[in-house]
This record gives sequence, C-alpha cells and structure tokens, in this order.
Amino acid sequence: MPVEILRLVVGCLFGLLVNPFALTVAQTDNDQGKVDAVDAAVSELSEAELMEAMVLTSKAFRNAARRVTPSLVTIESYGGVSAVQGRIGGIRKQGEGNTTGIVISSDGYILTSTFNFIQRPPVISVILGSGERHFAKLVGRDDTRKICLLKIDGLTDLPTPEMVDESKIKVGQWAISLGVGYGDTSPAMSTGIISAKNRIGGRAIQTDANISPANYGGPLVDIEGRVLGICVPMNPQSQAVGAGVEWYDSGIGFAIPLANAKKLLDRLKAGEYIRPAFIGIQSGPNPLGDGILINKVNPKSPASRLELAEGDILLNINDNPVNDMLRLKQLINRFEAGETIRITVKRKSTGSEEQLEMPLDPPPTNAKEPLALPKIR
Amino acid sequence: MNMFGWRIVFLIGCGVLMAGSHLAVAQQKDQPSFIDQAISNSQPKMVKVFGASAGKVEGFATGIIVSKDGLILSSQGVFLDGRQVKVVLSDGAEHIATILKRDRETQLSLLKIQATTPRFFELSTEAVGEKGDWVIALSNAFKVADKDEPVSAMLGVISLRTTMEARLTKRDVAYRGELVLIDAITSNPGASGGAVVTPNGKLVGIVGKIINSSETNTRLNYAVPSSVLHEFVDGKASVTKETQPAMERQDVEFGVVLFKLGGRNNPAYIDRVVRGSPAAKAKLKSDDMIVSIAGEKIGNLKDYAESLKSLRAEEEVLMIVKRGVEMVRVRIAPRLKK
Repeated sequence: MPVEILRLVVGCLFGLLVNPFALTVAQTDNDQGKVDAVDAAVSELSEAELMEAMVLTSKAFRNAARRVTPSLVTIESYGGVSAVQGRIGGIRKQGEGNTTGIVISSDGYILTSTFNFIQRPPVISVILGSGERHFAKLVGRDDTRKICLLKIDGLTDLPTPEMVDESKIKVGQWAISLGVGYGDTSPAMSTGIISAKNRIGGRAIQTDANISPANYGGPLVDIEGRVLGICVPMNPQSQAVGAGVEWYDSGIGFAIPLANAKKLLDRLKAGEYIRPAFIGIQSGPNPLGDGILINKVNPKSPASRLELAEGDILLNINDNPVNDMLRLKQLINRFEAGETIRITVKRKSTGSEEQLEMPLDPPPTNAKEPLALPKIR
Repeated sequence: MNMFGWRIVFLIGCGVLMAGSHLAVAQQKDQPSFIDQAISNSQPKMVKVFGASAGKVEGFATGIIVSKDGLILSSQGVFLDGRQVKVVLSDGAEHIATILKRDRETQLSLLKIQATTPRFFELSTEAVGEKGDWVIALSNAFKVADKDEPVSAMLGVISLRTTMEARLTKRDVAYRGELVLIDAITSNPGASGGAVVTPNGKLVGIVGKIINSSETNTRLNYAVPSSVLHEFVDGKASVTKETQPAMERQDVEFGVVLFKLGGRNNPAYIDRVVRGSPAAKAKLKSDDMIVSIAGEKIGNLKDYAESLKSLRAEEEVLMIVKRGVEMVRVRIAPRLKK
C-alpha cells in the first residue's frame, strides 16, 4: 500500500530530523551538503511540526514492532536457576524468565541466542505469536555468533520477517530492539541507531539500542520492521557464552545480521556445531621487537602439531602483523574451528622465519568451562 | 479519492499554514524547541531530597511537586529514616519536610514543606503515553546537581506498559501494579522519585526505585505511573491493599508425587501417580513433566505449589505435560486434600 510506505518515509525523515545522533553521524560521513540541508530544515520547523515529527517517529516505532511481532516467539524456561552455579559473564546468575526467538522459515526454523540455553533445559517449549505452545529441538549452534537454530516439526505456514542485507545497513540509521524477556506477551522495545558495522571479526553489527537478556535472541529491526540482526551478548575479548552480558543496556549492544547467511543457516540446519578457533599457545609481548613471544604450547593443539616451541615468535597471521595479545585474539576471532590460517613464525632454534599453514581446532573441552567469567579489562 | 488521499491534502494544507505562521517567529533566535520546553517547564517542579544514609545505601533521592501548597512525591527509602528530611527546590531554597505518608507496596512517599509551590505536576488518572512514545526522564541520579542546579534530563522511549503482579517474585520488589518500562537508563542511585514526562510536558510517572528483575536478572528502568501516584496522594487505600480472594482458599491435590531431589527449582517431573486419584483418571504417568496448569507455565516445583493454591476442588482445568517428546493435554479436576 503506497500510502503506508509514504507515511513511513515521512516518519523516517522526521525521525532523522529530530534524532541528534543521526545528525552527528551524517557529519562524520563527510556529507557536508546533506548536513547543511538537514540543519536548515531543523531551523525552519515550527514547534508544532517538531512535535508532529516526534509523534510520527513513535508511530513508526510501533509500526515496525507490529510488523515483526507475529514472527516473535517466547522460549519458556524450565527448571529455574539451580542448574548454573557462579557468575556468568559479569552477571551473578541468569534470569529465571522466558527468552525470545524469531521464526526464520515458514516450516518452523527459529533462531535465538545460545545465551538462552546456558541452563540446558530438559525441554524446549516455545509459544508462537498465535499463542500455540510447541516443543522444539535444538538443531545446530554457532558459538562464534552466539546463535542457535531450533526446529518445530509439523508446521507449514509460520509468518516470517523480512531481512535486511548487511550491505544495505547504514551506520546512523534507526534500530529497534525487541524482546519478550520481561514476561509480557507484547515485546518490550528500545530504540537507538546502528553504531557500527563489521564488529567481532565481521560477524556483528553494533547498536546503542538497549540489548539485554530481555531481548537476546530477539530481533533488531529497522524503522520498517525488517530484521537487521539477532540480538546477542558479545565481547570482542572473550567467546564465553555469557561474555558481553556485562554490557547489557549500556549503549554497547550487538546483533548478528543474517539476510545473507544462507550458507551458515544451511550448516546449522545440517546439525553443525560451529565453534571458535583455538591455536593452543600461551604468549606474551616480545621484548625484543615485532610479534609475540610464545611462552607455552598446549599439547595436542594446532601449535604443537606444527612443532611450535617456547621462545618462538609469532609474527603475523594471514599477512596481518600480530604485535599484542589483543590483536592476536581479534585475528583468531575472525576464524572458526576447522578453517586454516597462514602464520609466520621466527624459530628460536634456527633463527629463521617460516610460513606455515595451520588448521584450527575448537577449544579443548576441558580447557575452559564455557560458562567461565570472561576477563573484563 | 480515498480517505488517505484526503488526509494527505489536509496535511499539505496544514504545512502551508504552518509555514505561513512560522515566518512571524522565524526572526526570534534561540526559539526553544518542545523538548527544551518540556525540560525547562518541568525543572521548577523538581526537587532534590536529602536524608539519612545507611551503609552503602545513599541518603538522597529526587522528588516532584504535586500541589501548590508544597506536597512532594518521592520514593520510599532509608533516606526518610533520619531525624530530618531536607528538600531543595529548583531555586536552591532549602526546606525541612514532614513525612505525611509512606507505603511499602507502591514504594512511594508523600512529603510536605511549608512553602507555596505554584508550579507543580498534575497527576493524571489515565495512562499517559504508550509503547514507543518518547519520554524525558528528569532526576538527580548520583547527586550530580547541587543546590539550584537543574537535575539531569535523559531521552528515551516507553519500552512496555506491563503489570508486574505476576512477573516479579517477592524478592524483586513489594510493588504490585502497572509499571512503565522505559529505555532511558534511570536505575541509578538518587534517581528514584524523578519525573518521567512526555515531550509536551505531561507526567507519565515517577522514576521507580532500583529493582533487579528475576526474569532477566537485570536492573529495570521504569516509572510508577501517574494513576498509581494519584491514588496514593488522594489517599484511596486501594493501591495499598491486596485484593482479597473472593472465596476461601482450598487445599487441593491432583494425586501425584513429584521428584523433589533437586530442590524447588527443579522442573515438575511426576515421580508417582496415586491410585484412584484425579491424576490416575487423567492417565498421567511417572516421568511426565508438568508444563502448564490452567494456562500458567509451571517452570519448577515452586510454580506448581503456587498454582495449586489458586485451584478449586472439582473444577476442571487444562494441564499440559511433556511425555517423551510428546506434548499431552489433559483435562483434570483436583480433589480436596485428604
């Protein structure tokens, strides 16, 4: 319906006018002409028009939420919190309430966040937008993106949302997070903008809309209710399942865009468990120059198979120089277990530089409890 | 032309009219916009409240003026427990307040100062603002504003209007009733008692005390709605009194014994079905997991015990149990406990 779209466009336009953040971003875009035009428009708007603009943005927010809400599901939790002891990513314990998921195919595939399954529930039951309760099974999971795929069998006509291609997402555009974690059947909303793209090894987009356990697994949508990504807890310094929760409602939030992720979704549908990459070294800064100094090599790790040893210096990964530990983590985070990287090392024994192919492992299961508290810097 | 078409014509017409009238004011520099105005109009109605502190609990809060003769609404807290409570008006004038009322359940307090306060918030009995509406939160979080300095303003939207009755467990908060969740971060020391207003200056509610939701284990940012404030100030007791169940509570049972080994947080798995009981008639089985009773989720043994309290003997309810991978629905009427 063209009028509906026109109203949305007007909503977006006014939204941009009254949104100070959007202005700031426009300025940093070096798009000076646009900024001037916007500034002029602001100064010529009457109070009544500004008020009307504000009312229109609110209507647009509600409209966006209404469009995606039929695809939202409530994931019920059973068994309380006794299954988890200790802290999870800066939060003393996980909430007891329901969590959010989103239908991605009419035949019953649902995406949500792995955060919602920390407790390993005895049964996964989901309530669809229609109010029906169904059991779902966990099909596949991706620990590098903190998302997992559920499936409800025997359904054919579930409402699916429209997804936005990541390349079309613009920094500064409106972003609305939605989730049912506060317990109401109607989702709670928080509004903000897209803060950045290409975060966490290129897997996530960043927003200043509130992201928290109330909407992990829920959608981050644009002003027209199209899905920009799935809200997840993320922290570039840790891949523990709860890492990133310490930043809840802080203005630093992450979502995983999936419009272009057919390959990834096919892997999850096939039951794959995608895990972070692990190379198996303990290292520190190199006091004598470039690279990082290997202090210890874990047995039966990718590093030990290449016979890396204490005193060797790791210089670069896929031609990216590695000069501190944070950089190493960032580079490794771009890959997943099973992929192969190319490293350059300077051997202590021979003093020569070598280029080596290193197939990556998943972290050993006993190395780190997946619920371990991430290091907060 | 359909209705939408007419509306567009109407809007364009309005736009022309507005542009015309706008020329008259275009010369005036620094014309306040409506958000500025909402804030500047609200500031004289805001007060800073100082009282006793206890250990780590801060002895300060925010308050709002709600009458022309010095009535002030704030939140309930230890800051009220000292020998005197000091109220600082927006012009910096200090007054000693008397505490007229405080209520554990709504977490509100009503103070009175001996001063005329011509500018005050009207307390609407109707809900102000809906989900997605912009709101401005005004509060003295972290005691940032001193003396006559204006309190801090934040912009956000209403996230959800929801009833917390069934949502929050007892340890979260005593408050029962409607909450207005917002996405501005107000859950900070000293913010409670602050104002949440719409861009046209209407009071949505006051910033609530810091509470942790057991649903999400996160802090809630919320307002206690103006209708609740109105009832509290007006003295109608309905907000402070729990509604009594119309009928006397019955002790009922289905005739199942649940697995109790894991404690009250465990899911409600059936260990044994008592012969001849309603559960046996409904063909419930050992190892069934009770998922819901009468539409309410049974997440654990605690929920199960709570659910039984609300049921009556011989009144049939729908129970859903998980049996293997199946979801089984049964109609079952509890019996009086023997």
